[in-house]
Amino acid sequence: MRLILLDRLTEKRFHFYPLALSRPIWELRCGMTTLGEKLVAKFAATDVACFVPPYMAEVYAVATDWPVNDPSKLAGDDLLIVHGRLKADQGAMEEHVRPEGPSRVVVDDDGEVLFAWIAQGDLPRLKTDSVDALIESALAGLPKVDAQVATWNYTWDLVLANPGQLVEDFRAAGRSGIEGTVEQPNAIRGSAKDVYVAPGALVHPMVVIDAAEGPVYLDEGVEVHPFTRIEGPCYVGKKSILLGAKCREGNTIGPVCRIGGEVEESIIHGYSNKYHDGFLGHAYVGEWVNLGALTTNSDLKNDYSSVEVTLDGRTPIDTGSTKVGSLIGDHTKTSIGTLLNTGSYLGSMALITTTGTPLPKFIPSFAWLVKGVVTKGFGRGKLYETAQAAMGRRKIAWTPAMEAMWDEIHQRTAPERNEAIKKGRRALAAGQRA
Amino acid sequence: MATVEERVVAVTARVLQLEPDQIKPEHAFTTDLGAESVQSVELVAMFEEEFGIEMDEDAALSVQTVGGAVDFITKVCKEQGVDV
Repeated sequence: MRLILLDRLTEKRFHFYPLALSRPIWELRCGMTTLGEKLVAKFAATDVACFVPPYMAEVYAVATDWPVNDPSKLAGDDLLIVHGRLKADQGAMEEHVRPEGPSRVVVDDDGEVLFAWIAQGDLPRLKTDSVDALIESALAGLPKVDAQVATWNYTWDLVLANPGQLVEDFRAAGRSGIEGTVEQPNAIRGSAKDVYVAPGALVHPMVVIDAAEGPVYLDEGVEVHPFTRIEGPCYVGKKSILLGAKCREGNTIGPVCRIGGEVEESIIHGYSNKYHDGFLGHAYVGEWVNLGALTTNSDLKNDYSSVEVTLDGRTPIDTGSTKVGSLIGDHTKTSIGTLLNTGSYLGSMALITTTGTPLPKFIPSFAWLVKGVVTKGFGRGKLYETAQAAMGRRKIAWTPAMEAMWDEIHQRTAPERNEAIKKGRRALAAGQRA
Repeated sequence: MATVEERVVAVTARVLQLEPDQIKPEHAFTTDLGAESVQSVELVAMFEEEFGIEMDEDAALSVQTVGGAVDFITKVCKEQGVDV
């Protein structure tokens, strides 16, 4: 059996923007691992291939060990095709996603394939020269199962599920105890069985690890500075540093992050900095983000009504939750004192300067936010220079393939940005005439 | 109708909060008129709004002087079919 992870440029893809602009959906994190890692573990797959939007294939191929967009992987074995949005935990729907029985497809309400099991014997009657052709021929030639399988539908689903997923993932990892260094005096609340400090991790004196309400997992090479308080459930990824942070419950912090201030029920993907004070709650932050000192997001409206998020610059989507913070795309930087409204969307490669008041809730990718309005700023060339500098500080190269991918993202996100730029010009002009 | 130069001077005066008669074609936006980086971005946006044009940000921001802006904007207006 070969597991084929699938993420095509279909209609609902923007539900995971800005994070999925630069990565396949299954690379998003929830709990201690990515959605893809959970799917691979669920199906105990040893042979995995994947299909991603073509514009990110070259960059992703460097980041993963799996073959990317290789049509030869669509033959020669039973195929288990799984969309990145499919939840690994299917609950009552489990029977519909078993890799066994007759070939079949499961689609969502819009006809998007979420799951397909294709026995090798059925492949000759399907088209296998591309993944799109295979999907189309499977839809036409295989039985469709009418089942509402469980899916991730928006990025905030991951944030809201994160605390519970952390608990499950900690249990599944099956590790506990101190294998790194915990300097004294220190305090562990709750059961020591609910704490894992990996080899190479270093916890300075005067740190509180509170596992009373959930487990705490500090991965290899993590460093926790004095006066940090970590409430479980929490996962801190390899080589991340907590700097006197008030790390409230439900956080996933990916690798190589620098985290200070107050963080609650948030996912920080990796390689991002929130070095200083300021509150981040119910947020999903991408890679290579820098949140300037005192950057703060609201995650609860004053009237306790459910939070709306605008993903396309036009239509607000009701999240159905009273707690949603910010979605912040890769390479975005905020200046000191930035205030983000409840349910804010900050695109990728955006540069935000503060106004002292809460900013617009939708800031498109590659925007330079000046005086509270979207401008062209100094253009994407300068943003690339900044990205190169930020990555260079962590000894990671900015490659021509990355630049090509971001050029494509720049083009794909142009309509909402251009509209915002026009609005911004009018607002600036009106402000000057007033 | 005001000339391109008069309109460029008027926008520059508004954004940089100067009197129009303080602004000469040979003046550099940054070193002579004191434009900070954020104001340079604002100037580009306001020139676009004033003339109804779209400027390439890299090219626009490479313009150093008021006179250079007049020439650059005149060229862009011509390319984009905007009467000035």
